[in-house]
Amino acid sequence: MSQTSSVADAAPAVTRSPSIARAKRSQIRGKLPVLVLFLPPALLLFTVFVILPMGEAAWYSFYNWNGYGLPDQWIGTRNYELIFNNGAFRQALINNGLIILISILVQIPLALWLATMVTHRIKGAVAFRLLFFLPYVLADVAAGMIWRFVYDGQFGLVAGIFNSFGMDAPFWLADRQVAFYAVLGVIVWKYFGFHMMLFVAGLQAIDKNVLEAADIDGATGWQKFFRVTLPLLGSTVRLSVFFAVVGSLQLFDMIMPLTGGGPSNATQTMVTFLYTFGVMRMQVGFGSAVGVVLFIICVTLAFSYKRVFMKND
Amino acid sequence: MAGLELQNIAKSYGTVSVIEGINLSVADGEFVALVGPSGCGKSTILRMVAGLEDITGGDIAIGDKIVNDLTPRERNIAMVFQTYALYPHMSVFKNMAFNLELSGKPRAEINARVNQAARMLELESLLERKPSQLSGGQRQRVAMGRAIVRDPAVFLFDEPLSNLDAKLRVQMRSEIKALHKKVGVTSIYVTHDQVEAMTLADRVVVLNHGVIQQQGSPMELYRRPANLFVAGFIGSPAMNFFEATVEDNTARTATGLAFPFTLATSVTAGQRVIVGIRPEHFQTGSGSYKGDVTFVEPTGGQTFVTLDLGGHPTVVLVSGEHDINSGETLTVGVPTERTYVFDTATGQRISQH
Repeated sequence: MSQTSSVADAAPAVTRSPSIARAKRSQIRGKLPVLVLFLPPALLLFTVFVILPMGEAAWYSFYNWNGYGLPDQWIGTRNYELIFNNGAFRQALINNGLIILISILVQIPLALWLATMVTHRIKGAVAFRLLFFLPYVLADVAAGMIWRFVYDGQFGLVAGIFNSFGMDAPFWLADRQVAFYAVLGVIVWKYFGFHMMLFVAGLQAIDKNVLEAADIDGATGWQKFFRVTLPLLGSTVRLSVFFAVVGSLQLFDMIMPLTGGGPSNATQTMVTFLYTFGVMRMQVGFGSAVGVVLFIICVTLAFSYKRVFMKND
Repeated sequence: MAGLELQNIAKSYGTVSVIEGINLSVADGEFVALVGPSGCGKSTILRMVAGLEDITGGDIAIGDKIVNDLTPRERNIAMVFQTYALYPHMSVFKNMAFNLELSGKPRAEINARVNQAARMLELESLLERKPSQLSGGQRQRVAMGRAIVRDPAVFLFDEPLSNLDAKLRVQMRSEIKALHKKVGVTSIYVTHDQVEAMTLADRVVVLNHGVIQQQGSPMELYRRPANLFVAGFIGSPAMNFFEATVEDNTARTATGLAFPFTLATSVTAGQRVIVGIRPEHFQTGSGSYKGDVTFVEPTGGQTFVTLDLGGHPTVVLVSGEHDINSGETLTVGVPTERTYVFDTATGQRISQH
């Protein structure tokens, strides 16, 4: 019996591999028209508008070029050396790091706390949710403008508050030591609503029965939060941090109306640095080099974060 | 372990009252099933006992202690949820150990108790798995394990078997019964399935619209239903009902069927009543009722036959292996003591049995 069965098994095994290959070939043949029809337009657009400009920027970064005519003054890696010796760039790097740090240490905990509050079934929770989300809806440029007035030491809200206590108002945005903290405040104000909404969605996805089970199991409010709610929100927290990191690296249009990177480069971010030193000063080669550095930092951070922290999400 | 006492408890949402004056006392170690159609308030009662829902009136006592204002944490109860509500991020072991860890038990004791519960529920090989890697039946068992490791005063079951398939449900039913025998903790079991309630419980409480209709042992409810609702709810397939009027000790339908019965209370002649007869109480072969078979449902050892009794479609249970075909005429009879009669106006039973 075993012999016959093994023979019977062996027979189709011999013919199987060519038949599989044939099936694969016919599968590809079936897909070929689709590939021919749909791939080229997308590939063309992606190449022309994404790959080529990036490659071009990388190419320009080796030239001393003001953007007029063709780049012809090859200077090798000089632009990169200039970048890393530039105090303003180092400040911008530190500032970006600080933004990420504040996002993780202040903004996300604040957003999480508020999210747990506004998901309770209390009166006005929806109104608060909306209110907290409003700053995020506002255009970045408009937010920058508004806060420039708020911080204004002569006419702004801050001035009003200080004056009402009979004190002289400070000009925070003009103070090198304080300006960046003022900017950080605006960043937290602007984006906590977004993170709060992520957490609200995350909290709503948690099975209520699981939290009730924790109640019955004898967990206090804190224990329930740290041992059940927070672990179940893990993927949302990781996503939130990811957005905070990427957002920090892109931060530009709120800084420009607020401080323009000043005073004396104290509030530069990498993108405002690129704009100020590359575009405004007509140093396209140098700007391109900053762009390349920024790109490498972004890609490295984003991919390694996804690899390490979000691999199961 | 402790008994449980519900005194006149009520629940209302604003002006809408969902539970009105429930009185129920559960003895230490007793297994009580709350059964009723969906929306009858049975789960709400359970959640009020657990402390997950506030009560708006009355008192709940576990043992000798009034627990109205205590949090679930302070009541020492364990609950098995319909959705199991396992912690998705914890292993089976952690799920079962969570309560013990929170109450600060020493590691050795936690291990011993979880392992013992796991052995009892045959979960030993699954302790390191996450709930998402378990089948429905295994999850159910973990939920039970989480409840028994902690040695609670009262066990609460909220339709724990309704997410399982039919076969597993029967198996888990007997496991729950065996478990209760073994640990002997006071248990309240909520279900909409009367078969589950009857097979599991020492005492069944039938609820409708937030009011207790009747409570008693399963056979008591079956034999002596207090009213029309209980009569229709308990028993499967459901009781047959005939609208009739009373004349002395006989109820007559408009189509001429006469059901003699034993009266328990006095009635006025011509009073409108409803006659109830269980499908399994019809005797075939001899009797005073004749009807054409309209529908046959053979299940093997017994056959459900639908008869046309004077215009009333009537289900009759025929035991044994019989070949009955539609269109045949069947003669059936009912013993007087198996004829239930209910007052149409109040729904209360007026027959002796």
